[in-house]
Amino acid sequence: MPKREHLLKIGVSGIRGVVGEFLTPSLVSAFAQAFGTYVGGGRVVVGRDTRPTGQMVQHAVCCGLLAAGCEVMDVGVLPTPTIQVFVGCTRARGGLAVTASHNPPEYNALKMFNGRGLFFNQYERSELLDLYHQAEFRQARNEEIRRIIRDFETPPRLHIERILAHVDGERIRARRFRVALDGVNGAGSRLSCRFLEQSLGCDLHAIWVDPAQPFPREPEPRPEVLSELAELVRREGCQIGFAQDPDGDRLAVVDETGRVLDGDEVLGLAIEAVLARRPGDVVVNLTTSALAEELAARHGRKVYRTPVGEANVVETILAVGAAVGGEGSNGGIIFPGVHACRDSYTGMALLLDRMAETGEPISALAARLPRYARRYGQAPYEHGRLGSLMQELEEAFAGARLDRSDGLKLILPEGWIHLRASNTEPLLRLAAEARTADRLEELWARLQRLLGAIA
Amino acid sequence: MQARKALRISQVGLRGVVGSGLTAAHVLEFASAFGTFLEPGGPVLVGRDPRASGVMIQEGVVAALMACGHDVITLGLVSTPVIQQSIRRLGASGGVSIGASHNAAEWNALKFFGPGGAYLSSAEAGELLDIYHLKKFRFVEWNLVGRLGCCEDAVDAYLDELARVFDLAALRNFKVVVDCTNGTSSVILRRMNERFGFRFLLINAQLEGVYFAHEPATNQRIVALQLAPLIKPLGADAGFLFDVDSDRVAMATEEGVAVSEEMVLPVLADYLLGRGPGKLIITNVSTTALLEEVASWYGGKVVRVPVGRQAAIDALSSFRPEQIAVAGEGTGAVMMPQFRFIYDGIAAMLAILSMMRERGQKLSEILARYPRYSMLKGAVPLVSTRVPEMLMELRRRNADGAVNTLDGLRVDWPDRWFHVRVSQTEPVVRVIAEQRGDPPERLFEALLDFVRAYA
Repeated sequence: MPKREHLLKIGVSGIRGVVGEFLTPSLVSAFAQAFGTYVGGGRVVVGRDTRPTGQMVQHAVCCGLLAAGCEVMDVGVLPTPTIQVFVGCTRARGGLAVTASHNPPEYNALKMFNGRGLFFNQYERSELLDLYHQAEFRQARNEEIRRIIRDFETPPRLHIERILAHVDGERIRARRFRVALDGVNGAGSRLSCRFLEQSLGCDLHAIWVDPAQPFPREPEPRPEVLSELAELVRREGCQIGFAQDPDGDRLAVVDETGRVLDGDEVLGLAIEAVLARRPGDVVVNLTTSALAEELAARHGRKVYRTPVGEANVVETILAVGAAVGGEGSNGGIIFPGVHACRDSYTGMALLLDRMAETGEPISALAARLPRYARRYGQAPYEHGRLGSLMQELEEAFAGARLDRSDGLKLILPEGWIHLRASNTEPLLRLAAEARTADRLEELWARLQRLLGAIA
Repeated sequence: MQARKALRISQVGLRGVVGSGLTAAHVLEFASAFGTFLEPGGPVLVGRDPRASGVMIQEGVVAALMACGHDVITLGLVSTPVIQQSIRRLGASGGVSIGASHNAAEWNALKFFGPGGAYLSSAEAGELLDIYHLKKFRFVEWNLVGRLGCCEDAVDAYLDELARVFDLAALRNFKVVVDCTNGTSSVILRRMNERFGFRFLLINAQLEGVYFAHEPATNQRIVALQLAPLIKPLGADAGFLFDVDSDRVAMATEEGVAVSEEMVLPVLADYLLGRGPGKLIITNVSTTALLEEVASWYGGKVVRVPVGRQAAIDALSSFRPEQIAVAGEGTGAVMMPQFRFIYDGIAAMLAILSMMRERGQKLSEILARYPRYSMLKGAVPLVSTRVPEMLMELRRRNADGAVNTLDGLRVDWPDRWFHVRVSQTEPVVRVIAEQRGDPPERLFEALLDFVRAYA
């Protein structure tokens, strides 16, 4: 099968593509005009990350929004969560972030928010897509065309204020933590320094915090690309290290020994930090570690599982009034007390607060988390084969409890296996977890054998 | 109601009623075509008039040009002549003027300029149009997308050039009332008052996006509306009226008499031929025969070209600049070699004031020297298929006159002429007749009757 590259994707998750021949200003403007039509005019907040194409794409977005009769509030280069908090605080009808998040620099995309600053839910997204395809946009006449207003200062201030209302800032500042930061030269570069140094009183050692420079590493903060941060932590004797993605929603953490924690550990620490202050239920996606259930149980609380995707987790958090949630698989911490969105800033504050409260190093806190062995992988996958694949796996694991809300999750006494089709690539994403490394290897080997036999 | 849905895409550029005719999609595609047409090199400059839709259009133009790899510099709210002057000064590879000049507020348009601020020739404009229709645009790779800057001092640099051409110190004591039609001339004239101590009294000087104080045309009727009645009470030396982007001008005398817009070109021809006897006047076949009479005083010659800006621009390139005294139309749009053949109302006004000063004459005294010509203008709805037949018959019936078929049919007799042609902007046949002395009413009525017989 030839490799299919998704250089342009217009679908229910919005518009995303490689800038140049694929993601053109005309497409972006038309999509923004559809968005402006969908929210019915009024104020729309627009910001962007630091990609070299961001400014161009943002101008195309503004053109489309103004043409639909919207007033544009330009907030400049800012992290996605900061934009979302601001949309929710103002009387905007919606917001658009020009960012391809953790995708490589040649990509750009639009993240779309409703008037509460939340990701569009699946119904809103499909309505918007229909509107885009119908191409009957609101066409404002000269006297209906509104202005562009700029406010680069209020959104960061509001975001920081919101976070400080939920942690003990005094306690964190008193410790004067030595903190390392890898800002990937992203949208949060400036804000992260200001937040850690001024708001949280840290002794900061930062790399890659120049928004004018290109991304110095792969934008997704996976453990394999964080060696410079780990080295910085060791060299400077830092107590913790943080890494962000270009739009500041994902967070990775390095402990004081230079070990990169995995995403489930980071989420687990955040869950602990939140539940220690205010007990409540927890929402995570299907691929997140079972440590979520154990941590919730320590506080007598329960865990809700959702399909993979930030929007799904957020929807359930709001529906059940959960205290905290996220996606362990991608460093997403969602604390609705600040805002129901993935937010690296809230994550950093929660972890530092937990360290200040317990007086323990981050490695010790991580060591006390329930221990599981996890493994992720992927397999090539032919469209249309998922159904039969799932049936055969079900038969092979006859005693398993099943969850079919997103691909197939097989829940076994000794652990679980989850497989699902990627939304963005022709791949099957695989994950498995067990109590011990040995048990995990057995499970993984069995899964591979079955996939091999079926294929 | 036809005008409300108007969109016109032609060699002159893109023009239409925003929302109902001209949309964001048109703007992005036409600007992408221009970005593809322009050679890479210097930046591309973008300026706009105060129409509310200008903000939306500018966002689209900026995005499209950047996506084609051009650095963009925005000049803000500036007149078209300022944009052209800045292109030359900054060594830009071209420019875009966003503004609908003398059209009503609900209209907007894009005008395109090449290196040196030159208007596009017919061949270049045709190529641009072909690229637009083909819709194969040259978008660059993501890492080559253009950058955006802005230039705050474009007006001052433009005034520096005016100061090199005109003796501003000698002109500043004239007391002049100016009707700015809520357009960009107010920005320039206010600055001239501040910087050079001019005494321009400005009316309708507030930049307006939606409601202009009056129809934005430069003709005798509009001069008489608000400007002319103010001149005597204020004891002013003259009054001038500019269109929204100040490339056209009309005037009133110190006695408060509104002057026909047809007189701007003859007055400047008189002045400039006086300084350069024997030179050429370039104008179209519909402009007053007074020009031939003025030219004869100085041994000059009138070159007549088809109606429309493009024909005049093409004609200019067939002569050396030093051969030409002035070029222009009967609409108050005039180009002078001292000002590098840019249609510029402000420069035209300064030339008329210079003439008053050098000759020591009042404006009414200058005008009194010219013999009286009377022009009648009319329009008849068009039946396209019968136009050639009508023109042939008209020519046969007027075989005793001097025939010119450059654009429709013009026939000249001593002291009398008529011109019948098809409009480029509306579906009508235009009929013009002029006579030295009294109006040629019988000729005009007979022509209208004749043309109507073919309607």
